[in-house]
Amino acid sequence: MDRAEITAKVIQFISTKVENLDVSTINESSKFEELGLDSMDTIQLLFDAEDTFGINFEGDEAKGFTCVGDIISYIEKHQVPASS
Amino acid sequence: MHVVVTGMGVVSPIGIGTDQFWTAAVNGVSGIQRIESFDASGQRSQIAGEIPGFNPAGFLSAKYIEQTDRFTQLALLATSLALEDAGGLDVYAPQRLAVSIGSGMGGFATFEASATRNFRNQPTPPFTVPRTMANSAAAWIAIKHRFKGMNLTCSTACSSGANAIGMALDLLRTGRADAVIAGGAEACVLPLTMTAFEALRALTTGFNTTPTRASRPFAKGRDGFVMSEGAGVLILEKEENAKQRGAKMYARLAGYGQACDATHIVMPEMNGQVAAMRLAITDAGMEPDSIDYINAHATSTPLGDIVETRAIKSLFENRAGDISINATKSMIGHTVGASAAIGSIATIMALHTGIIHPTINLDEADPECDLAYTPNHAQQKNPRNGLCNAFGFGGNNASILFTTLE
Repeated sequence: MDRAEITAKVIQFISTKVENLDVSTINESSKFEELGLDSMDTIQLLFDAEDTFGINFEGDEAKGFTCVGDIISYIEKHQVPASS
Repeated sequence: MHVVVTGMGVVSPIGIGTDQFWTAAVNGVSGIQRIESFDASGQRSQIAGEIPGFNPAGFLSAKYIEQTDRFTQLALLATSLALEDAGGLDVYAPQRLAVSIGSGMGGFATFEASATRNFRNQPTPPFTVPRTMANSAAAWIAIKHRFKGMNLTCSTACSSGANAIGMALDLLRTGRADAVIAGGAEACVLPLTMTAFEALRALTTGFNTTPTRASRPFAKGRDGFVMSEGAGVLILEKEENAKQRGAKMYARLAGYGQACDATHIVMPEMNGQVAAMRLAITDAGMEPDSIDYINAHATSTPLGDIVETRAIKSLFENRAGDISINATKSMIGHTVGASAAIGSIATIMALHTGIIHPTINLDEADPECDLAYTPNHAQQKNPRNGLCNAFGFGGNNASILFTTLE
């Protein structure tokens, strides 16, 4: 999946975490806190990504995520390549 | 001090909302069908009372849906309907609004789904615990409506809803709350729960091709209960407060009795049932002679319906045959922890409208079940004092007494 597709998926995940969120305002530099995601929402967001992309967030690295782009970059780097 | 019912909300296999539910009940409509929510072809019992029209997206945000089990979603809808019916409870301080909900299995759908993922080495959803825990329905009701008073959950298997309503009565009598949202919710039409109840030989297996005939309390040929899902919620207030705010009042919640068999973990026992009914009547300051209606527990198991019949005869003696009895489960099946909450709504509507809904599929009664069960057709009886029975695994027997307002 390319970066644009991953971004679209991550935005979709975020849209189910916060009520009344205008998804058009979400971009890669959006901070979780600014979007209204609490710590449990972020944990659920990581789960959604793990479940969809077949990846594992290593504990320490995931703790350093602060914005949407952090997750997208991690997924892009670690996603399991689709079998040809 | 009297406690009154000022609002009701029901989500059942025969209707969502009290009007739809009651119209179907009076007309003897069955809500039992072949299971649609999963492939049940491998089950011995392939039928259930499901709510196919239930759509949580119609009233809950994506966030709520992601964080809640189906039993909580059913409870949230029943609560919204009940609050709307009661005209809102804004006159009370949030700290004086309590919640008391019963559920036998809690969020078992979530548990079953997460366990399946675990066996497949898939990641575990983070909300597995908060969705599964039995008190999640009560907690989400509080969160959604900002009720900050006591928040209780009762899990006594099939009597959970009755105990939750009884606990609510105690909260109001002891002054711990001004109003209580009380009832029960259950959503365990699931492969594992069905298999587990089958293993106990508790479910019907002989009516897979004729599902509407399967739930047949007191009838010849009954062979077990039909698993069902649903929720029922009552709004309970002190009568003087309800009058003051100009609330409509359906009936009084006059008494509550609970007794444990202390004999067997699943087999019913007559004496405990007699004790629960007697305690509810005594609690209301009444005598057995005043009871003219019983919404029976009546699950359609071969043994259970006979034991309840014997219990009614034992307590009411030669008057037993004069009491109108019916079985809501004949139409909706057994909603486990919600059953007495929905049964309570049927009881309240009987007092409110004067109509006893029928016990369907009762063409020929079991010779050992020989009371007035309102077979197949509704009857206008104008009852004044109605018991709602609920008997659960663990030897739990609960009975609630509702009365008309005058």
